[in-house]
Amino acid sequence: MPVLKIYFSRIQRMSGLSRERVLDRLPYLGLDIEGTDDESVRIEYNPNRPDFSTDYGVARALVGLVGKETGVPEYRVSAGRGRIIADRSLAKVRPYIAGVVARRIRLDDETIRQLISMQEDLHNGLGRKRRKVAIGLHDLEAVGFPVRYSAKAGDFAFAPLGSNEEMTVAEILARTETGRAYGHILAGTEAYPMLIDSTGTVLSFPPIINGQKTKVGKGTRGLFVDVTSTDQRLGDEALAIVSCALADAGATLESVTVSYARTKVVTPDLTPARMKFDLRLAGSLTGLSLSKAEASDALRKSRLDVDPRGFAVIPRYRVDILHPVDLAEEVVIGYGLDKMTPVYPPSGDAGRYDRGLASVDAMSLTMAEAGYNETMSFDLVDDATLYRNFGRSSEARLEVDNPRTAEHSLLRDSLLPSLMAVLGRNTKNEYPQRVYEVGTVFRRSGGRVVESTSLAALSAHSSSSFTEAKMHLEALVRRQLGEAAETRPAGHWAFAEGRCAEVVVKGVTIGHVGEVKPGALAAFGLGVGVCGFELGLKPRTRA
Amino acid sequence: MEKTPLHPIERKVLASLADGPKLLEAIVASTGLLPDQVRRSISWLSSKGLVTATEASSTELKATGRPAELTLVEKVKEMGGEASVAYLRNAVGEDKGFSAAMGRAISAGWVEVKEGMMGQIVLLKDKEAGRSLEALVDLLKGGVSEASVAPEQRSTVADLVKRGLVERNESKTVSVAITQDGTEAVNSVEDQGFDRLTSEILSAVRATGVEVKLRPIDVAASAPAFHPGRRHPVKELIAEVREVYLSMGFAEIAGEAVQPALWNFDALFTPQDHPARELQDTFYVKGMRDESIARTGEVANIAAAHESGWRTGSKGWRYKWNVEEARRLVLRTHNTAVTVQATRDSKGAETRVFSVARVYRNENLDYKHLAELHQMEGIVVGEGLSLRDLMGVLTKFYGKLGMSGVKLWPSYFPYTEPSMQVMVYYDKVGKWLEMGGAGMFRPEVTWPLGVKTPVIAWGCGLERLLMLRLGMDDIRELYNNDLRWLRERGEIASTQDLL
Repeated sequence: MPVLKIYFSRIQRMSGLSRERVLDRLPYLGLDIEGTDDESVRIEYNPNRPDFSTDYGVARALVGLVGKETGVPEYRVSAGRGRIIADRSLAKVRPYIAGVVARRIRLDDETIRQLISMQEDLHNGLGRKRRKVAIGLHDLEAVGFPVRYSAKAGDFAFAPLGSNEEMTVAEILARTETGRAYGHILAGTEAYPMLIDSTGTVLSFPPIINGQKTKVGKGTRGLFVDVTSTDQRLGDEALAIVSCALADAGATLESVTVSYARTKVVTPDLTPARMKFDLRLAGSLTGLSLSKAEASDALRKSRLDVDPRGFAVIPRYRVDILHPVDLAEEVVIGYGLDKMTPVYPPSGDAGRYDRGLASVDAMSLTMAEAGYNETMSFDLVDDATLYRNFGRSSEARLEVDNPRTAEHSLLRDSLLPSLMAVLGRNTKNEYPQRVYEVGTVFRRSGGRVVESTSLAALSAHSSSSFTEAKMHLEALVRRQLGEAAETRPAGHWAFAEGRCAEVVVKGVTIGHVGEVKPGALAAFGLGVGVCGFELGLKPRTRA
Repeated sequence: MEKTPLHPIERKVLASLADGPKLLEAIVASTGLLPDQVRRSISWLSSKGLVTATEASSTELKATGRPAELTLVEKVKEMGGEASVAYLRNAVGEDKGFSAAMGRAISAGWVEVKEGMMGQIVLLKDKEAGRSLEALVDLLKGGVSEASVAPEQRSTVADLVKRGLVERNESKTVSVAITQDGTEAVNSVEDQGFDRLTSEILSAVRATGVEVKLRPIDVAASAPAFHPGRRHPVKELIAEVREVYLSMGFAEIAGEAVQPALWNFDALFTPQDHPARELQDTFYVKGMRDESIARTGEVANIAAAHESGWRTGSKGWRYKWNVEEARRLVLRTHNTAVTVQATRDSKGAETRVFSVARVYRNENLDYKHLAELHQMEGIVVGEGLSLRDLMGVLTKFYGKLGMSGVKLWPSYFPYTEPSMQVMVYYDKVGKWLEMGGAGMFRPEVTWPLGVKTPVIAWGCGLERLLMLRLGMDDIRELYNNDLRWLRERGEIASTQDLL
């Protein structure tokens, strides 16, 4: 989840709220406090609320929640003369662009940091790592309108941000950090999006990098913001969030007109959206019986509103409202979750265990009673543990895609390798060591993954033997299955030839018992003999 | 020389000799042991030098009859010291040796005979007549050793033997005496005692009632460690959580760990480009898909909910839904993948189900992150359920797990609205802790599955709670399977008012 750092001095200036009050209320906006120091607090916000990507957005919500300033905040956008000409050449690559001009902004270090952090968060979340949306901030004074958004070839050159030398597109993709990180978004195209002003200055090579000439700094007094996207709605949403933050930072907003081949769009659109407000639904979801006035008061505290026709009024930066149930949550937040009281819905029926799980549990208990220590290992294991150490073919392997570590790359089809790994890690501990595990094993069957429950046990000590394993196995089967276990000579990849049997109960083979083969003992670093068994358990029923 | 401990029989025999030497038979009589047991133990004891056994031959004298002269004197005394011969002959009996008895009584000076008016009469001469002979015969009735007969009585005894009134039997006897060592052995506090008991020793204890000594050992010395079999702490807490759910009327459900993305994500209104669905966060099974999933029926409803909200009144996510994404097999990232299927199966009827099971995240392992962990998730389907009911269920559920307070903060999950972060107050650490999420399933989730009844849902990780119970700060320790830790770890604290 994205993290935002907020300075108390700034948030106090914006909201008039003390440090304590801020810290007390932040969680009731859904903001997790990660840590605080004397000057600042680090908060984690949920990805559905990109408007919380600056302290401006947080302050806006806080003043509503405490009732200092409620209802939909007003944002004015005056008609500007800035124009973007969007070329059809990018229709298949990154067709949409939108922009805003922000004048009379005062950029101190912290404001710049907030804007950059917002840009990054919007890139990663809403923009899906720039794939869908990318944002460029430019020093307005260095921009000459109209700005043209069109495709250039790989040999097109300009000076990218952080460089005074011109580089070709190909060089930028290969050599700059962002080029390497995001170049894959443009893979397979020769049409590279380029935003160039009327004087030929390159503003941006979206979604990779800005140009050096329009770089924003402390002295910057006006901004031009461009938002390119593959999804016009998402681009507009990102622009709305940026625009509102800039307005809250004190800027005056001016619109920008985008000319596509056939249409013209004026951006940003900050007029509130509307959605039918269902008071009854809100009441039944929350369990609160609120009057219309109370509900609309609660919504106003969430910085929404209800218009005279019964529609909820939703500011543009609130991109998370999809359904009337989302308005119900806003009612709850505005009302105050800390004021709600619980009711317990009585239950008519008695609970019950899943019978399969209950019988597996009983078997497990018998193993503990027999003196075995239960262990729990991961279902994902590595190749050495599962196959190589046993000299076993890995043909039927079930792999996961792109695991972070090779240790967790294969789904196990037996618990014996995990138990051997456990013994291998415990050679410094006292013997005898008797361990068992009950868990899920996975195997491939046709095109499907079949799961079943398995119980395996190993006994490691200097005088462990087939007889010991068989003795414990028979006791388990007799007690838990009420049947005698028969052992018939058989082969198994974990056990030594001639010291291995299949376990047959009522004519059905349910597992194997034996002495672990010496090669495997050596591979796991064990200096004592190990005997044991593994049984496939068929849960009796499945709910 | 190592002293062998005294056997209980030996101890009993030695004790019976404390008041002087005894014949074997006397030992048998006084100890109540069988003659065989006594004989064997005397042979052990004498080989150890604790007793001396002396074999001697002896003659026993035993009275078998009563001399007639004693009967005669008795009758005279009965008649007042004077009786007719005729009477006495009749009273003693000629056949019992009356005449010889008269002769002996006279020669012993006990009586005299005089002529009377009615014939001869017998007069008592000595008031003590017959008394010493009587005493001797009484003594001999019990049988005595010939050696013990006083010298002045020897001729009388010889006469009685001759007359056939005393039997003379010769026999061999063993006389046993305790030695100095024997006395010391009985009284010795240094008796080492037995190292271990055998069934033979125990049956001797049973026969004699004599306690035996066990060799003292250093009871403060360290004993080898013993490790009872034990369940894994995660399983112990799972058992407790299952019990809590059961006590609240929930039925347990089990589901597969490998799920099509359809159930793990799509059915839960998680858009197909959601970051949680990316390879770096989620494990997909390489090269496998559930080809049976097609855009028909409920899957078509789900797809439409994503694209445009379907009939739910939602805007939807407004993108083109792709069935191929839904077919990918994923290791479930949460058990909601299972509870959402139970939601569908409920058909909207009152339902309470739970699942405590393993979930998978493509994470690097560190002190607070694992790639596999456990979640305890529950749902309630029921008419009229609201956020307040959810609060009520959570308060009860976490209360039973030892949490004294529950509060909710807003949060976000794609599949619930309202969405809540659950904070619980844990007395043991004295603070509020984040304990999972909760919410009400969105219409975009339930309607496509044919359920319009409200559904409240919640879930939380189990390991975090377990770490609090065990006072741990590194989650990896739970799955290191260090046997020393598994054997010696503390108990997971039990809870209040279960059931």
